[in-house]
Amino acid sequence: MSTQDDASLEAELDMLMAKAGAAVPADSRAGIIAGYRDLKRMAALLRQPRTAADETSNIYSLKSFVRSKQP
Amino acid sequence: MSASPLHELSIAQAGRQLRAGTLSSTILTQHALSRIAALDPRLHAFVLVTKERALADASRADRELKSGMDKGPMHGIPYALKDIYATAGIRTTCHSKLLIDNVPDEDSVVEAKFKAGGAVLLGKLATHEFALGGPSFDLPFPPARNPWNLDHFTGGSSSGSGAAVAAGLVRMAMGSDTGGSIRGPAFYCGTVGLKPTYGLVSRRGVFPLSFTLDHCGPLSWTVEDAALTMQVIAGHDPLDPASADVGTPDFTSALGRDLAGLKLAYPRSFFATQDDISPEVIASLDAAAQQVTKLGARVEDVTLPDFELFNACGRIILTSEAYAIHERNLLSRPLDYARYTYQRMMLGATISAADLTQAFRLRRELASVINCKVLDTYDAIITANGLTPAPRIDSFPVDVPPKMTLQTMPFNVTGNPTLAIPTGFSSSGLPLGMQIVGRAFDEPTVLRIGAAYEAAAGSTDKRPSFE
Repeated sequence: MSTQDDASLEAELDMLMAKAGAAVPADSRAGIIAGYRDLKRMAALLRQPRTAADETSNIYSLKSFVRSKQP
Repeated sequence: MSASPLHELSIAQAGRQLRAGTLSSTILTQHALSRIAALDPRLHAFVLVTKERALADASRADRELKSGMDKGPMHGIPYALKDIYATAGIRTTCHSKLLIDNVPDEDSVVEAKFKAGGAVLLGKLATHEFALGGPSFDLPFPPARNPWNLDHFTGGSSSGSGAAVAAGLVRMAMGSDTGGSIRGPAFYCGTVGLKPTYGLVSRRGVFPLSFTLDHCGPLSWTVEDAALTMQVIAGHDPLDPASADVGTPDFTSALGRDLAGLKLAYPRSFFATQDDISPEVIASLDAAAQQVTKLGARVEDVTLPDFELFNACGRIILTSEAYAIHERNLLSRPLDYARYTYQRMMLGATISAADLTQAFRLRRELASVINCKVLDTYDAIITANGLTPAPRIDSFPVDVPPKMTLQTMPFNVTGNPTLAIPTGFSSSGLPLGMQIVGRAFDEPTVLRIGAAYEAAAGSTDKRPSFE
């Protein structure tokens, strides 16, 4: 990732921390930046086409969870 | 043949001697307390030893057993709890400054079940702070050390549980598993660890990390001991919103059977293509797959969705839910958390509602692949646990939380029962292991496979030395 990308990422993170009301201790900043970069990569992986079968629901049934044959 | 030292007796072996009157719970407990006093200053597995409580529990168990009362497989057996399980009148810190003076009024359900079952509480065990973070040196208690080599990491977050069982301080210790916190320490410390099906063991009274990923389960030296523990702790709890109202099986019912008739999936590319994996781990897993074939199982290579999908799904959910639980303290008392814990949890403030919703959608898709496709054809999956032996505990960066090279998160995402079991040792003398993943609520089959492999491979024969 380029220096410009790093700066942009840090600015974005600073905005999110400010919005949350967090005063991040200076010695924690490097670790949060590294973690944020990794989390953004993971969030991008989640964005793929899904089907109706993947909808979240309010009421769950064990049958829909345990759809393989019963032991 | 000489008799095994007391700390090497399994729950089943000790139980038989207690009932035969050839051993007392008091002797067993005193032996454990002596061993803790001798070894724990180097291991740091315990954050609190409940000596008086243990001796009182043992004395009571001896009286009861002598009178013919039998409260089940843990009666008179010493155990210990990760320090996130609430214990009435006994300090429960979550290994954190934030709860350093916390003394609960009520027991967690698991602790209440051990009490009712006549077991003997030895104490509370080290964890990574709030079952996350770690290994951290900026907490009220030092991190636990790996009994196979004190310079190495135990894994986490059930770090003290893994160390205590491997060192023979206790034959069973409770852990919790949100992304691998039972199975990671079991792998690094060379013990058995069972993450039961989501909903099978009540989490009430256990400090939450991630509501939809948290599981409670045992670490033990043998598969049989994990099964006996499950007999005590499993069961529906109407006050745990995630508790499943399903019957409690006989967890020991299939132990001792060979594997004839079982079909096992072996997703070799799932782990073997990972950049970080050690060739020794791959060789150990291939040998384990051959071993279960010799025991009668049919083992076939299968393809699973990419590990990174499972991991991303689990990490987004875990980080979101942990932040929701800790938000107030993270904002008002940031310096009271260990640095690694704070760094990991604060990321929850950056996750959008859309990210979390996508993670829950993907979770259904991944659970469907595992349950409706793979486990509709196969009785279980055998796969990697850790990708490398335990790293040195001083190898982690100070400023940035380390990434763990484990493949445990997928089965927190799907909720399936998963057994961690040792498969041998690296050239450096550190433990290696595998995971056995079963159908939801089919712990008996998972334990059957684990016990058959354990007996054939002799994976419990070697213990750490402290000379």
